Amino acid sequence: MAELSDIKNATIRAEVEEFVTRPEEIARNVALFTRAHERMQAIAAGIIDGDDDLVDKLTAEALKAGHEALEIMDDGLIAGMGVVGIKFRENFIFVPEVLACARAMKAGMGHIEPILSASGVDPIATVIMGTVKGDLHDIGKNLCIMMLRGSGFEVIDLGVDTSADAFIDAIETHGAPIIGMSALLTTTMPNMGKTIEAIIDAGLREQVLVMVGGAPVTQEFADDMGADGYGKDALACVSLAKQLIEAKRRNAPA
Amino acid sequence: MGTAPIKSMTSRQRVLAALRREPVDRTPVCNPTSVATVELMDLVDAHFPDANRNPVLMAKLAATGYTELGFDTIMPVFSIIQESSALGCKMQWEQKDNWPTVRMREPIWTDVDDIKVPKDFMKHPDIVCVLDAIKLLRREFGDEVAIVGKTMGPWTLGYHCFGVEPFLLLSLDDPGKTMLALERMKEITYLFGLAQIEAGADALTLPDHATGDLVSAEYYKRFLQDMHTEFAERFPAPLILHICGRTVDRMGYIADTGMAAFHFDSKNKPQESMETVHGKISLVGNINNPETLFSKGPEEVRAEVEANLAAGVQMVGPECAIPLQTPIENLTEISRTVRDWHHAHPHVH
Repeated sequence: MAELSDIKNATIRAEVEEFVTRPEEIARNVALFTRAHERMQAIAAGIIDGDDDLVDKLTAEALKAGHEALEIMDDGLIAGMGVVGIKFRENFIFVPEVLACARAMKAGMGHIEPILSASGVDPIATVIMGTVKGDLHDIGKNLCIMMLRGSGFEVIDLGVDTSADAFIDAIETHGAPIIGMSALLTTTMPNMGKTIEAIIDAGLREQVLVMVGGAPVTQEFADDMGADGYGKDALACVSLAKQLIEAKRRNAPA
Repeated sequence: MGTAPIKSMTSRQRVLAALRREPVDRTPVCNPTSVATVELMDLVDAHFPDANRNPVLMAKLAATGYTELGFDTIMPVFSIIQESSALGCKMQWEQKDNWPTVRMREPIWTDVDDIKVPKDFMKHPDIVCVLDAIKLLRREFGDEVAIVGKTMGPWTLGYHCFGVEPFLLLSLDDPGKTMLALERMKEITYLFGLAQIEAGADALTLPDHATGDLVSAEYYKRFLQDMHTEFAERFPAPLILHICGRTVDRMGYIADTGMAAFHFDSKNKPQESMETVHGKISLVGNINNPETLFSKGPEEVRAEVEANLAAGVQMVGPECAIPLQTPIENLTEISRTVRDWHHAHPHVH
């Protein structure tokens, strides 16, 4: 079994040792980074450091050296963001640092995305994302979108200040099985419930799963308004979307 | 809190005493951000968005906090956008049932050298509206009730004028430039706040959203603690700092600024928060908005008010500006519970 000391990249080794504390997450990260090529570890370290110039350079070099785009995305970019997500969840870092890491990820994805799009890989599912009516905040939503796309979802981004009608139009147009709603203000959170009611009135509730998130949103609030799931952060959003899709496919009539 | 008998106070006396952490006849009920609701708008025929831009309607709607809800304060500045509008930010004024907001995706400044206060800033209608509303309220209510103004802190102005994401990235990429930007923007805070005091405000709420949901406690210390201390020294009226979200990790720093009060969110437990500030600052709050005031009933409101009173929180009220669809009965329950609690605890002041 792989040990922490088997991780070759010193930055990654130190980060996992210092900031990852849950046994299952230690095991997963140790397994991932000991398996990952050293170039991928270096890219992940660049992501964790929020160094966009470095990630840009290393990603280009890795492609040139013959690494697959999917390998760079999974073992480098997403693996690095996984550690970033844990540090954010545990309050070791805050939004400015996460934004810098996201900027680095974007630099890497700039090389990877065109290759993946051209390869025609089927997405896991389509997710419609938007900040609710009256709310113009989008940092959290954008981080979720980046992580969802990086994890294999197609995302339709409705932007900010999204009316219930706009969500309904998008569900009808794209036939997406999941929507994600975000709110940063306690004053706009009720618009999540209003949107769910509008989706029910439109007769679409059975076909779409609703996940919600945002700084003031809680599991209790999500339950009260009838959402199918709540994600505390971008990492949780991705695992929630995966769980919801798996459950929906399991329960679908044969 | 003391136990000696205190003679009956007016709402204004009660609030000003609580801001000085002096004994009160009962805990004041306060709204340092906003208690505007659609129901109250209908009641006095003063609706959003006009009630944010017309001084008569602004004063009329604000007064309902005292006349209809039984609060001890009147807060005419419902939103957080008046000065950003005057600075030239792109605005979305919305309708009756939504808050006006700044289009932060279309920032007006990208560099510290862009920061300029327009010559006619203090004459802008959205600034004058607030000043005139305060004058109207002072004329109508005299010394009866505390009138609280509101001036945005430089950190929040940074979000509005630079955009949240660019401003937070600037703080990481170039802390020196960020400090310079804050230094320049703080004059806007001062200008608008001072004018409100001159117009008759008894105290000012100073929202400056360096929340734990976005930045660390060390960030607060590094970028804002000294500036907030300076505000507390420069303004000739008590200041109520407002920061939403998780803040207990920075309340110790906030308590050392010399501000009169801190308006805190329900993400922070009343007892723990009181212990953290060590009596150096009054606390105002912290009834939950979305899950309690908006979604539940008077019984749940009562329980949260009592928890705050039992913890010794100096002023009780909603944690932040309340959702516009909040039922009035939940808001009046705050005042009712405070009165009942003091009736049952006559020796607590």
